[in-house]
Amino acid sequence: MATREVQVGQQLAPFVIESVDPEPMKTMAAILQDPNPIHFDPASTQALGMGDKTVNQGPTNVTWLTEFVQRFAGGPDRLVTIKIRFLGNVFSGDRFECTGTVTAVHAEAGTAELEVGATSDGRPALGGTAVIKIRD
Amino acid sequence: MSDYAHLAGHRFPGGTYTLPPWLSWLWADAAKLEPDWAVAHQGLAYLVALRGAGVSIQDIFDLMDATADSGVVFGEFQVDYHGVLRPGATYECEADVVEVERKSGKRAGVFDKFTFQVKVREAGAEGLTLVCTNSWIFPRVEGE
Repeated sequence: MATREVQVGQQLAPFVIESVDPEPMKTMAAILQDPNPIHFDPASTQALGMGDKTVNQGPTNVTWLTEFVQRFAGGPDRLVTIKIRFLGNVFSGDRFECTGTVTAVHAEAGTAELEVGATSDGRPALGGTAVIKIRD
Repeated sequence: MSDYAHLAGHRFPGGTYTLPPWLSWLWADAAKLEPDWAVAHQGLAYLVALRGAGVSIQDIFDLMDATADSGVVFGEFQVDYHGVLRPGATYECEADVVEVERKSGKRAGVFDKFTFQVKVREAGAEGLTLVCTNSWIFPRVEGE
């Protein structure tokens, strides 16, 4: 049984979406059956005083943070738990960046704990923690 | 203001949900990730849990006497994974309200934190595939 070398304080390789694309928000709105026009009609965000850019769906942001964690973990089957707090909106055109650090290693259990988060154009978007498997 | 703590333990209908392969593919594509016909993205846990719970967003709003204009926002989201999601697989889901807490903050004012949990099991499997716990924030004003 091989245990992957992971150390407390280790930084995860960043995951970056350089510019959040508004077009896929339309597909995601249809998939989620989410009728809220802030995700596809810039006029609606403008009417709400939120600026002239559409708002990315929360589940997409969660998917990116999940992808970030599972890439570090070595695959989707190595993800044990992810816990996320929603801290702010992500708008089309934003630079979305995930960062994370290993906060604990439990060699006997074969798991590691991570502190993770995401910013959108520098603003806090997501915060959270994750647990991954480090043993095959 | 009404207190919604009594909703703890409320059972949603639950049911089954089959994850369409095309939807799994489009989900990854819309997120600018590499779609995989064999393995669904774990980020789909939210959708599988909500569809399998047999409850709509409007149903939850009704339970909490809220409307689309109430300013409801996501609070926290947790998934405990015991396996991977597979395109085309059918999932059996059980869902209930964990708790409703009345809270207040200087910036947020008074709000209810509504937490519900969905247990997801692939049909025919012995163990759970995942457990999804969601908290939504319902702002409250005096007189509600």
